[in-house]
Amino acid sequence: MEKYEKLEKVGEGTYGKVYKAKDKETGQLVALKKTRLEMDEEGVPPTALREVSLLQMLSHSLYVVRLLCVEHVENKHGKPLLYLVFEYLETDLKKFIDSHRKGPNPRPLDTTLIRSFLYQLCKGVAHCHGHGVLHRDLKPQNLLVDKEKGILKIADLGLGRAFTVPLKSYTHEIVTLWYRAPEVLLGSTHYSTAVDMWSVGCIFAEMVRRQALFPGDSEFQQLLHIFRDMHNPGNKVYLWGGEWIAGKPTEKMWPGVGSLRDWHVYPQWEPQNLQRAVPSLGPDGLDLLSKMLKYDPAERISAKEALDHPFFDSLDKSQF
Amino acid sequence: MAELESPGVMPKLIAFLSSLLERVAESNDLTRRVTTQSQRVSVFHGLSRPTITIQSYLERIFKYANCSPSCFVVAYVYLDRFTHRQPSLPINSFNVHRLLITSVMVSAKFLDDLYYNNAYYAKVGGISTKEMNLLELDFLFGLGFDLNVTPNTFHAYFSYLQKEMTLLQPLSLVVAPPRSVSAFNEDEASHQKQQLAV
Ligand SMILES: Nc1ncnc2c1ncn2[C@@H]1O[C@H](COP(=O)(O)OP(=O)(O)OP(=O)(O)O)[C@@H](O)[C@H]1O
Repeated sequence: MEKYEKLEKVGEGTYGKVYKAKDKETGQLVALKKTRLEMDEEGVPPTALREVSLLQMLSHSLYVVRLLCVEHVENKHGKPLLYLVFEYLETDLKKFIDSHRKGPNPRPLDTTLIRSFLYQLCKGVAHCHGHGVLHRDLKPQNLLVDKEKGILKIADLGLGRAFTVPLKSYTHEIVTLWYRAPEVLLGSTHYSTAVDMWSVGCIFAEMVRRQALFPGDSEFQQLLHIFRDMHNPGNKVYLWGGEWIAGKPTEKMWPGVGSLRDWHVYPQWEPQNLQRAVPSLGPDGLDLLSKMLKYDPAERISAKEALDHPFFDSLDKSQF
Repeated sequence: MAELESPGVMPKLIAFLSSLLERVAESNDLTRRVTTQSQRVSVFHGLSRPTITIQSYLERIFKYANCSPSCFVVAYVYLDRFTHRQPSLPINSFNVHRLLITSVMVSAKFLDDLYYNNAYYAKVGGISTKEMNLLELDFLFGLGFDLNVTPNTFHAYFSYLQKEMTLLQPLSLVVAPPRSVSAFNEDEASHQKQQLAV
């Protein structure tokens, strides 16, 4: 680790701190993610184990943060440490959006930049999904940004999971509440790539609004936000035999639907038009957003399809 | 994969994996005795040869780890990758147990959302937690953290195992029985015995 000179702390994660550092020889800036291993019972934290192995496969994409190496060292007390060494990016999307909302010069994000960031995000997500990896924790904090170059990269694959071999059910303790898909909130344990696309939709809206779209503070509140704010006439979805289907279920399709604990609470709301939530978004943008926020995961647009959406027609794609 | 979930498949897979590893370990034991050099001693190398058979050991892991059945196929993929990346560390009877418990633990940690911690696996494997942690690190770096298994790789290994399992089946019985219900029952009974022996 003598190779690097620590400059400052830039973040703090569950298992340790993230530092900005400099490669003494080449002058290259790097981010060092320190992972403590002293939690004896657990060994190597699963987030580190997954992050390293998934990034090794995914790091070739321009839209996924590059993992340069992993170092195994002992600290001065003889305790083992793992350092994950990443390329350094100066900020993340959360800090970037915050700087446009607060501070000396509050202003909306440039529309061309939103378009470009969203396109890069979809590229990165398509890359993950194409390699059989669910990210499961997409949120502005986990998207790294280079302001000068206008580059956005996906980071933090600690909750990522390979979905290509048959496995036992998935946890629903994924994704920070605000970006969590409704099927996960309702307890589905066999979700797929659509959960990431829901998060992408929330991030898209957040770039436009400069504040979170569905800021719930409990699982219940989160669903209330979604059901109340979403305009999805005639397209409400219900859990039916573990599957999502569109349309209003009858007692015949789903005996006892009327007596389900939470369901009768939701349809009382007058649905709000999605356009009211993001008034500055043009029709193409609104169309793409509503496709990312489809209740039915099977209907939700995929990352690959999103790349061809008319919203990106005005983007100079040759640069990507 | 439905085939892995169906009853009776896992005990067969465990039995087959055990016999496969046993053969590999024995043959490497012999080479080792002949050459005596070039094989590195690693953290995986026990001081003495563990007395528990590979099959009982693997059955024990299967019984207590409670991971997705896929993890055993993936653990086998890891062992294969490990020996290719570490040619100076071939599987032998001194290290096979430690390699096994570590590979199953790592595959469960990588694949499953719910899994037991290292301390639990250490108990199952009959080693200390400290040793388990060391083995894990060495295994991960030995594999170059190459943990992902594509569907193609998974199916290639699984169908290889399946094919070999069916080929081996008649050999393991004294007389090749006609394909009948009673032969099937006999098969089941012998597996029950193996499980009792754990
Ligand atoms: N490559 C990098 N370059 C610059 N900053 C980074 C880099 N990687 C991470 N950071 C900063 O550190 C913060 C935490 O990193 P990261 O999300 O990867 O850690 P984590 O342990 O997974 O955190 P959490 O548990 O909160 O998700 C990020 O939000 C970002 O601000």
